[in-house]
Amino acid sequence: MLACANVAKTYETARGNVGAVKGIDLTIERGEFAAIIGRSGSGKSSLLAMIGGLSRPTYGTVSVEDTDIWALADDQLAQFRNRRMGFVFQFASLLPTLRIIDNVALPALLGQTRAVTDVYEAAAELLDQLGIGGYADAYPTEVSAGEQRRAVIARAFINNPIVLLADEPTSDLDQETEREIMDHFRAANRTRAMTLVMVTHNLSLAEKADRVLHIAEGRLVA
Amino acid sequence: MPNDSSIRFLLGRLALQNLGRRKPRTFLLLAAVAICSGAVFTGAVLMRSIESSMSVGFTRLGADMLVVPAGALTNITAALLTAEPTDLTLDDSIVGRLQALKGVQKVAPQLIFRTDASGYSRGGDMIDLIAFDPDSDITVRPWLEQHLHRPIREGDVIVGGRREETPGSEMLIFGRPLMVYGKLAKTAVGTHERGLFITFGTLAALRDAMLQICGTKAPLEPNKLSGVLLELAPGATTQQVRFAALANFAGIKVVSAESMLTSIRQGLAALLDGVLGLMVIMFVSTALMVSVMFSAIITERRRELGLLKAIGARRSQVVGMLLAEAGLATAIGGVLGCLVGVILMRIYEHSLVYYLDRMGVPFVWLDSRLVAVIGVLCVGLASLIGATGALYPAWRASRSDPHDLIRAEL
Repeated sequence: MLACANVAKTYETARGNVGAVKGIDLTIERGEFAAIIGRSGSGKSSLLAMIGGLSRPTYGTVSVEDTDIWALADDQLAQFRNRRMGFVFQFASLLPTLRIIDNVALPALLGQTRAVTDVYEAAAELLDQLGIGGYADAYPTEVSAGEQRRAVIARAFINNPIVLLADEPTSDLDQETEREIMDHFRAANRTRAMTLVMVTHNLSLAEKADRVLHIAEGRLVA
Repeated sequence: MPNDSSIRFLLGRLALQNLGRRKPRTFLLLAAVAICSGAVFTGAVLMRSIESSMSVGFTRLGADMLVVPAGALTNITAALLTAEPTDLTLDDSIVGRLQALKGVQKVAPQLIFRTDASGYSRGGDMIDLIAFDPDSDITVRPWLEQHLHRPIREGDVIVGGRREETPGSEMLIFGRPLMVYGKLAKTAVGTHERGLFITFGTLAALRDAMLQICGTKAPLEPNKLSGVLLELAPGATTQQVRFAALANFAGIKVVSAESMLTSIRQGLAALLDGVLGLMVIMFVSTALMVSVMFSAIITERRRELGLLKAIGARRSQVVGMLLAEAGLATAIGGVLGCLVGVILMRIYEHSLVYYLDRMGVPFVWLDSRLVAVIGVLCVGLASLIGATGALYPAWRASRSDPHDLIRAEL
């Protein structure tokens, strides 16, 4: 289970403090697919970053499977992100100097719990499942945006996370690729019992979720 | 099977490939470090070589001062290379006390015994046996023109420049065979050119025979010296040391060399210290430049660092990767700088040696092993400076939340 209690985020800027998220209480059950929608600047991405252990809340707590993640030390939190969470960002988040398969294997290698050969076998298998097995040795700039996004999904799956967080995962993709990506998300959500939290502007994508959370001006409104 | 080495390899590869991403900037970084390291390497090698050469060259100009017994005759027009033969002596306890005087850098004792009873048959001339201490010597070995390829030892003799003996030949002095270890260049100082230089140990071994043949003579008494040559420390003046010596020791005479030579020697020592200071400043400025450059590099790659942190990279891994990148780049720059330095030194070697020879200074290159050690130190220092320069920006980036790093790019 994923729970936020009175979680808030205020950014300090030159023009004063800006409240991005203003005290949200939220619970998402294990295996649930939740979509977070809202206008630009409503606080969706900030909320997702706090849930994912990427941005420290100004106040409030975030618990994942009964672990208060923001009470963890820096290295423990890094390990938690590595082993329990998967991320798909809205930008092409592959390291350009590493091959596709190295990018996919990277979280598992950083985790340092599995043999290198096992990691690369798992990475190759994931790439096959996502239909880009033939590009394992290619560099990110040598493949299309859709193929890059599939590689990012493979990377998010490599450590079998319990939570997958996706921030506008299909924003720059065509409809066909968008549909394929969503199918992969849905399959992972169902077959791996992976909790899926997705931030999107796209209402038709949000409709595919089990629950839609609407944020406006930093507050949960529906 | 743990995969620690695999992730290190991957992060190391990432660091290396990052250097190749912005080739012009990497080239500028390498060039700046190469220039700095090359200058420091070349400067250090030349400075040490010139220091050795000057040490030999200026020592050939003689000591700065000579302390002899009051009443002893001295040739004040000649360079201070040796005392003159005399029956007057000093007690050898003066050596330690002279060394303790402020402004005195080196103290070289000598004892001269002039005799025509040595039994050395070649011409049956009067000979000057001059005992010296090879460890503190400043006026004999710098003039060595030829010598055997081993250290001087008891039973050896060095002959003056106007003598006919050659290294490796044998001389029978007071019935004891002495091996000619080396021959000095001509100095135009009579006693120095005709002298037979032996260690105090060799003199002690000859003493019984000398006493038997020559009878009791003042220079043959134990613990006696004919004179002490002094070299002054940088900044010290001959007047200062002269007054201190005369105030502390009775029955001595102090002879000074031409003050210009002393000034030149001291000035050069100060100049070389200044060059060392400049090198330190150069390295510090390079460290600052690397730091500024890596601040910019890290700002540019905030999203990538944020991504690495998001997928589980620990702070130490992020810092390590950036330090490896900086250390690697500056080490490569250091290697290039040293190679360019070696090439430049080879190009200018002939003209440098020629000009120094014209100045009467025999140029002495550093031993190649020492040059290699200086090169390794320069590369190590360059790498250390790169890592030090990148440390603060890397540490700052590693402290940031992954989302802040990622967001800055959007």
